[in-house]
Formats: sequence, structure tokens, C-alpha cells
Amino acid sequence: MAKLLLLCLKFIVLCSTVESVFEDQVGKFDWRQQYVGKVRFAHFDTHVQSSKKVLLATEKNVFASLNTRTGELFWRHVDMTGPEGNIDALLLHGQDAVVVVGNGRQLRSWDINVGGLNWEMVLDSGSFQASCLVGQQDVVKHVAVLKKTALSLHYLSNGHQKWIENLPESEAVDYQAVYSGGNGEVYALGVVPHSHIAIVAYSLEDGEIIKQTSVEAPWLSDIQGSCAVIGRGMLTCVDSPAVSLYTLDLHGQSEMTQIPLQSLGLEVALGFQPVLVSTQPNPARPPLSEFFLQLGPEHHLLLQLNNDQIVTLRDFKPALLVSFATSGEKTVAAVMSPKNKTACSLNLFSAETGRRLLDTTLIFNMDPFGGKPETLYVQAFLKKDDSVGYRVMVQTEDHTLTFIQQPGRVMWTREEALSDVVTMEMVDLPLTGTQAELEGEFGKKAAIQDGLFSMLLKRLSSQLILLQAWIAHLWKMFYDARKPRSQVKNDVTIENLSRDEFNLQKMMVMVTASGKLFGIDSKTGSILWKHYLENIPSNAAFKLMVQRTTAHFPHPPQCTLLIKDKDTGLASLHVFNPIFGKKSHVNPPALPQPILQSLMLPVMDQDYAKVLLLVDDQYKVSAFPSTKNVLQQLQEIASSIFFYLVDSSQGRLSGYRLRTDLSTELIWEIVLPTEVQKILSVKGKRPNEHVHSQGRVMGDRSVLYKYLNPNLLAVVTESTDLHQERSFVGMLLIDGVTGRIIHEAVQRKTKGPVHVVHSENWVVYEYWSTKSRRNEFSVIELYEGMELYNSTVFSSLDRPHAPQVLQQSYIFPSSISTMEATLTEKGITSRHLLIGLPSGGILSLPKMFLDPRRPEIVSEQSREENLIPYAPELLIRTEWFINYNQTVSRVRGIHTAPSGLESTCLVVAYGLDIYQTRVYPSKQFDVLKDDYDYMLISSVLFALFFATMISKRLAEVKLLNRAWR
Amino acid sequence: KERTPLLWVFVQAAVVVAWCFTDIETGPGAGVTLSYQPNGDRFKIEGRAIVPGVKTQDWVSTARILVESEEYVGFVRTDGSFAVNDVPSGSYVVEVVTPNYRFEPVRVDITSKGKMRARLVNYIKTSEVIRQPYPLQIRANGPHTYFMKRETWGWTDFLMNPMVMMMVLPLLIIVLLPKVVNTNDPEMRKEMEQSMNMLNPNPELPDVSELMTKLFSGSKGSSKAGSSSKGTRPAVKRR
Repeated sequence: MAKLLLLCLKFIVLCSTVESVFEDQVGKFDWRQQYVGKVRFAHFDTHVQSSKKVLLATEKNVFASLNTRTGELFWRHVDMTGPEGNIDALLLHGQDAVVVVGNGRQLRSWDINVGGLNWEMVLDSGSFQASCLVGQQDVVKHVAVLKKTALSLHYLSNGHQKWIENLPESEAVDYQAVYSGGNGEVYALGVVPHSHIAIVAYSLEDGEIIKQTSVEAPWLSDIQGSCAVIGRGMLTCVDSPAVSLYTLDLHGQSEMTQIPLQSLGLEVALGFQPVLVSTQPNPARPPLSEFFLQLGPEHHLLLQLNNDQIVTLRDFKPALLVSFATSGEKTVAAVMSPKNKTACSLNLFSAETGRRLLDTTLIFNMDPFGGKPETLYVQAFLKKDDSVGYRVMVQTEDHTLTFIQQPGRVMWTREEALSDVVTMEMVDLPLTGTQAELEGEFGKKAAIQDGLFSMLLKRLSSQLILLQAWIAHLWKMFYDARKPRSQVKNDVTIENLSRDEFNLQKMMVMVTASGKLFGIDSKTGSILWKHYLENIPSNAAFKLMVQRTTAHFPHPPQCTLLIKDKDTGLASLHVFNPIFGKKSHVNPPALPQPILQSLMLPVMDQDYAKVLLLVDDQYKVSAFPSTKNVLQQLQEIASSIFFYLVDSSQGRLSGYRLRTDLSTELIWEIVLPTEVQKILSVKGKRPNEHVHSQGRVMGDRSVLYKYLNPNLLAVVTESTDLHQERSFVGMLLIDGVTGRIIHEAVQRKTKGPVHVVHSENWVVYEYWSTKSRRNEFSVIELYEGMELYNSTVFSSLDRPHAPQVLQQSYIFPSSISTMEATLTEKGITSRHLLIGLPSGGILSLPKMFLDPRRPEIVSEQSREENLIPYAPELLIRTEWFINYNQTVSRVRGIHTAPSGLESTCLVVAYGLDIYQTRVYPSKQFDVLKDDYDYMLISSVLFALFFATMISKRLAEVKLLNRAWR
Repeated sequence: KERTPLLWVFVQAAVVVAWCFTDIETGPGAGVTLSYQPNGDRFKIEGRAIVPGVKTQDWVSTARILVESEEYVGFVRTDGSFAVNDVPSGSYVVEVVTPNYRFEPVRVDITSKGKMRARLVNYIKTSEVIRQPYPLQIRANGPHTYFMKRETWGWTDFLMNPMVMMMVLPLLIIVLLPKVVNTNDPEMRKEMEQSMNMLNPNPELPDVSELMTKLFSGSKGSSKAGSSSKGTRPAVKRR
């Protein structure tokens, strides 16, 4: 009986830990933003009039369709990362989009309405050069793909290859462009650098070489960069040293005609490589004879090629960006020119004449903290009166897409930099003025001197302020309640940002790889500030640190971003206010030496900013801020500051101690021979982590104490030999102060990538088992034993007993992208592991399932402890997905932050998308659940109240009647 | 003694492995297609994904084919078929991933000659072979269940609660019994008294509650218990 009862109890406990989302909570606490990445190709769908689609192919290997009205995604296809999924070309024809992927490896055709694949073809190997649509007699039926050694032609309808022909002399000639003017011929254009141009004309029908010419061009080295086909097959090239244009008729000329730019009265800006831009609105017809020539960074010309004569239609100076756009039969040119420092103006010009079209001015306001415009995509459409209207999509250097309608209304912006978040922090919002006033009452020293009476007055006045604020709040609520719901907008601006009761709303400070910083409100996901840092090296590593939180009013909060060039090691600091995004007045020190390590100390200067130590390659330490106060404090505690350095290329881990003169001293060193294994990662514990209970209560009521070493490092190594039989993954637990190896575990016949979570007294890691071809989890837990050596304070230097180590492994039925553990304010709540899966789900796996004390044979004691019997396979239950169907593509990291409620942990998953939610690992034990039935409770109360009233009355009547009897 | 089971396992494993190999050799021609591609040792995994009762247009745009979780990625054609190109020989878990529908993963083995076979994924017994059709036919087994059902409050739940039943039934008896039975009738009263005596056959026998108090108070309060029992007995009688 007792057994049954226990079993029941266990079942209940297990059920209660199963946490998931309720259907009515969808979108209540969570939001998702989907991104595509920096745009490489964009085409507006012109197939249907009034189409709302724009197709984007991006550098993140994403092919997507956006709604031009709202900027939201219709659909998105995420390919493999790396060169295999790289999109080389995007051609749009009707409702089919043809995409060349993976350096010409695959040719795909997508149905842009459905978002499904029409067909997919694997092409022959060979590096991709160019591709174009091929039409004949106004019908486009083929697509031509030019590779290093061959040219192939495919049907648009099914992708089948019509013909493939080898290119003549492909070893010597570098074929770079393919052109078709709709006359049944396909031209492959190649160049032998500084010698000649090779032109091969193929017949569209059977791929036969019709003509093969070579033209002297000793000045030319690159066709794609300096040439374009204009008009009826005129290859036009620009040569900057000779300051000339060269034209060549592809149909028969054997010599290039030189047209000096001086004859047109033009000059090239110094050191600028001129660029030609042509347009071919219909692939079945030759390109237009009008083209753009860019002569300087802000100088464009609209030229026309007329019977071998070049005519200047219009000179645009200054002009930042130009673009052609076609609607129906009309082709227009859009020109963006700078207006003032913060705005640009766009105008439309007729391509044929260069005349400015009336009423086509559009103002583009530039973000002062953003980048300069980079690319212009124009969607032209015919209005009812047959005039041309247009909308533009502007891409700026900071990867922002802005879609603008006339006369300058921004329809939407997309911050595509957020598709590549590198690191982030969640910062508490500041208190409001009244809250700060209340706090200040107790904090100030002056208060003590003021005496009792003034203190009372102050208290009363602050209470009055609170009352006033409350009444104002009530009034606002009443006022809003009368308005229809759609009108009530909870606009979050920086001004009205304030901390809520439970500190659930925070500022997400996100750092992206492009160097743009964002401040995002965690509740709504709206971007509150953005700041683009220019001159960020492309291979930069970032580390974001909160030096001062919002708790030290009136000092502003302060974040420091360490930006380090991975190659040179040179670093710089950017200090800013995380709430407003403004650059701080504090001047960070210049760092002339490469930086090896940075560490944040709990020590604060007189302005409550935590001290950041930076170690340079001379092992010299510099502090920021480095005031006298700080240096003095550092001298006092220098003997207790230790740090470690990792040199993975040499397999060396070394520990250092700080001396009082801020030099360092090597105290330990561990060398892992690189011939055998390499260091994959080194993980310490999170500094803001709290552990509530020192031990675990066992079944027999004794306590097993946890080994809570804050200096413990988990070092993951992988064998250099990747042979299936000899590969292994190693886990070293090292004390970061003494260098003592506490534990070493090796998993044989396994390989990386290894994902590690290190927290409390446990390390969880995941690896690939090559033997069984599956992913496995392993958990290591460390215990001091039944007695605690020194329960008051932990010192790495005084810990004579080695901890007890328990380990268990499990099978996991999916690979994982990233892993993190939940984190709460005081660490009372049980822990869950948040696992980002390649399918896009984020699994919340209770740590309970990864417990090395899970017994194989169930005993009375293990039941008492609520240990789940060991099962080799961990299950993935979709109920445990915290993001239900809001999948997050390519999860790169999960950030967890505690909230003011112990039960609640804030979670942000970032990758291609950003997803924010809250999780309750032990359910919401400290607040009423959001489905709490107020109606029921109050109705029961009222019913009882009335029942007593009525029964009282009835009893009175009855008594009276009895008395009368 | 320990050796023999181990040996037996080995033998069994060897048999299984051998069976695997023979299976590859003699596999039915229809299931195994030889898809040799121009560039040597790269192969193509083909199949079809089906969501019963849903048009393909409605789900293909969100679907992806993951081979060994994102090592190779494929997309679904508008008719539900798919192909993942450029996969070298080996053993892979192929999954159809959509946010809304659940598909079972399939393990696909490709030999170095390009022979394919599909089998059920079994992570525990990795060498077990339960054949699946190839080219793959992956049928969705329903939508994903992401949500827990809320506990809703209904009158029937409330009334069917055993505690409530226990409260309501005696109440009914107390209220209804006097109405049904005429208590003023002297005969009836006699009868009832009799039945009460039946319930409490031996007036000398102590009450259950008394017994309990005696038990828990222990030996020290034996005299007190006695006195209390004296005190309570008249009360019982009065009832």
C-alpha cells in the first residue's frame, strides 16, 4: 500500500515538473522576430501587377519572400551554412525564381507564390562564373549557366539540361560573363588578363559554336568589374588608366573602338575604378542602350550609346546610388543624392531622355547612428494615369533594409544585423523618478542629520507623490478603457521605460557581428535604440560586460564592449549607457598591446563601476577605470586575484597571480600535447549564479554536500586523430586558482562538436558517438561527501579532500545547436537545460533527467529521493518545447537571465531569429497563475455570504414561529 | 559463468551483422535504387513526405529535410517529393522538419557503391534493421502537440468530486429523512431507538474515538480517560 502511495506521489511530482505552454498563452509573454541576413540579391515580383512580393537571397544562405506592405516574411528557406549553401545567383522569371547554389553545384527553381520547390538539378562540378536567362522571340524558356570550363543550358520548366558544351581553351581563358540578347545565340565572354578578350557564340538550339573570336585588349583584366553589354550587343568596357571607354560589337567586330572620356568632357576621380551599370529589362531582348557610368564615389552619369557614339544624357553630381527599374515598357532611373547630413533625396529620371519625372521626389532620412546607404532596389509601377510611381528599398552599411514610399513615408525597416547576434546581456531597467525618490530617502547620508520631523515630512511627501502617481495611473486606465482596443497603443519609448514590480521587463543589449548594437525591450521586442559602430574588423570577437547596473542612481548604468581583432589581438573598448545606447563620457583607455584576457572584478570604484582588468601580451595588467581609489583597492586584494590563460594552438593552460605592482606571476601550467588532443572550449561558472542549497537530502535523511568550487573550470578536449576507432572527447575539471586537476573523464570513440553547460556542482556535455552514430549526453556531478570541510567559506587553496565524482551518460535522439541552463534570482527553483535543436525547437529538459544518481534498480531510498529510474534514452517531448511552433532557425546562443520572481527565468534564444520568453522550471509557485479564477472565488464568496444572510433570516423566522406556538 | 552470456551476445551480434550484409546483397530490386551521380561517390536521397488531409501548398514552404541534422539540407517540392543531393556514402538519419506536423525520422544507409536502404531509427539497438520503403515514404502522424490542456472548471467536475459527494449525501439524508419518516409517530420512534441500539449493541463497549484517545494519550491518562468516558457516556445516551 505504502509503495503504491509513494508511486502515486512520485507520479504527481513528475507530472508537476512537466512544464509547458498553454494554448492561451501564445504570444502573451513571448515574441519572435525572423530575419534573413544581409541581402545579396533582391528582385521585386513584377509578374503580377500590384504584387506584394520581394524576393531576397542573402549572405546567410537564406532565400525568402517578403511582403512589401509590412516587411513580414511570406516564406523563407534556410539552406546549409557555409559554401555549400551559398547563393550565387538569383534570376526571376514570372512566378519562378531560379537560384544557383553552392558555387554552381545546384540549380533550383522555386514557385514564389507557394514557396515550394519546382525542381532541383545537380550541375557538373566546376566553379560558377555567371548565369542568365535566355529567351528567343519574346519567350524566355531557358537559363544558361557558365562555369569555369563549360556552358550549359537548362529548361526553365523542368530544369533538364538542353545542352552542355565545353569552353574552348578554358585553361588559358578566364570566362566570366554570359550574355544573350534574344537572337538565338548565347555568348560566353572570357578574358586572358592583359592580353585579349575571347568571345564564343553558341547556338541556342544545339549548343554548336557559331563563332569564336578573340579581340586584343591588353589593358583588361576583369570583365565582370569593368565591362557591360549595352544596346544591341555592344560590349562596353571602361579602362581607368587610359581614361577611356572601349566598345566592341559582339556580332562581328574584331577590334575595340576607343572613346576617350575626355572627348565627352569627363574626368575620373583619383584612384577610383569606374563602374558600368546596364539594364536588360527583358531577357528575350537586348539590353537598353542607356547605361550608368560611375566616375567617382559620388559622381554618376547617364549615358546613351547611339550608333557607336556615346551621348551624355545627364550628369549626376553628387549622386550616391543609382538604379534602373522597369515597369511594363517604361524604364526609369532612380538616383539618390545627398540632401543634407541626415537625409537623402531620390528622384526618378526617364531612362531614354534623362529628363526628371515630375512629382517623383522621395526623401530618405538617414539614421544618425546608422550606416550610409549601400544599395538601392527600386520597385517601379504604373499608376492609373500611366505615369510611373515607385517605392524603394534601401540597404545601408549596417544591414538595415528600409522600404520607402513617396513622399518619404517609411513603410517598414528590417534590422538584418540582428540575424547575426554575437553576444548579449539583459540589463535591469531604471526606476522611475518617484521610485528613485523613495529609494533615495533611505540612502542619503543627509537624512540622518535632518532630524526626526523633517524625516517625517519627507516620508509624507513621498507617500503623497506615490498616491498621486497611483491616481494618475488609475485615471489613465479608466481613460484607456473607454477607447476601442485598437487605438490603445502601449508605445514603449525610452522616456517611459521603468522597471516593473517583478523586474520581468529588461533591456536586451545585443551585439551583432556587423558592429551594430541594439537595445531591445524584452517585453515587446521593439528596438529602443541602435548604434552602429564603424570600422569594426570583419573577424572581430566581442565581449560585453555590465560595469555598472541601474541600481546606483544617479550614476548612469554603464556597459563596456571589448572589441578584439582575432588576427592581431588588438582590441578597443566602447563604453555606453545600456538604457539609452549613448556613448559614455568616460574615455576608455587606448590599448596599444594585443589583449589576451579580460576579467571583471567584483571590486567597485567610488562611482560604483566594477573594475575591468585587461591582460596584454606582455602579461601586464591594466585596469579600467584606473583611478587612484581603484589602484589602491587592487593593491590590497592583489594577492587574491588569479586568472588563467588558454592557448589552444599550443594546448597550454596557465594560471597567473596578480602582483601588487599590477605585474603577474605564473603559478601553474598544464600542457595538453597538441599531437594528441586539442582544447575545444574552457567553461567556468556564471558569476551571477546563486546556489541555494549546499547539499542534497538523501533517502535516509543524511545530507550529501555539493562540491561548490567557484573557481572550477571545465576544459573540453578532442583528439587530434579523428579516426573512428581512436577518436575521443576529454573533459578535464581544473581548479583555476591552483591548477589542480580535480577530475578527468574520457569518452572513447566519440567526437565533437561538444556543447557544455557548467553550473553549480555539475557539468553536462553533449558529443557525438562515432561508434553508435548517435548523440550522447553525459553528466558529471561533484560532491564533497557526507561532511562539509569548511562550510563558511570556500578556498581553493585549502581543500584537502578530493570530491566524489559521479557520472552518467544518456542517448539523445537529436543533435543539438546550443545549450544553456536556466538561471533564477536565488537558485531555489529547480534547474532546466534549454537545448536549441536544429529543427528550430527549444527544448526545456529538466535537470532531473540528467542526474548521475538515477538508479538502475529502484530502491526504497531512491524513491524517497524522487530519483527517476535510469533509462538510456532521453525523450524529446514536443510539450517541452518552450517556443511551440515559433521555431528559431540556426540557434546560435541562448541567454538566460533571472527576473525579480524566483520562479521565473527570462530566456532569449538568438540565431537567425530572435525569440524571447519566460520559463518557470518549478511552475509559478510565487505568484498566482495567470489562469487563476477570480470569478469563481468571488462568486463562491458572495454565494456563501448571501446563503448565511438568508439562512440567518430563515432561522429568525423559525424561532419566532416556535415562540408563538 | 560470466563468460558464456557475453560470448553468446557476441555470436548474436555477429549473426546480426552477417544478416545485415546478406540483406544488402539480396535486397529487393524495387526498394534499392542505384542512383549514381556523375561525380563519383556522392549520392542522392529521395523520397516523398505526405501530410494526410492537407494540401501540399499549405505546408511545403515551412518544411525542410534535415539529413543528420543540418549536415545536408533538402527542400520539399510543391508535390511533396524531395531529394537531398551530394550525400556521400554512410548512414544518416533523415528527418522531415515542419513546425506544425510530426514526421518520424528514418535512417538511410548508403553503401560505397550507392545502394540505399531505409530502416527505422533505433538509437539503442543501432544495428537493428526494420526495413522501410525506399525511396522514402514519410507520412506525418498528426500535428505536433505543443500545448497542455488547461484545467477548466465545470459544475460536473465540482459535483463529482468525492469530497463534495461526501458532504452532499449526508446533508440530503438529514434534510430529507425527517420529511419521509414521520418522527412524531411513537411506533416509529420505538423502531428507531431499536435500530440505534442495534448500531450500538453493547453500551458497555467504549467508543472508537475514546479508544483512540486512550491509545494516544498512553498509560499516564488512563484514569482521566476513564473519567472522560464516564462523562461522555451519558451524552451518547442522550443522543
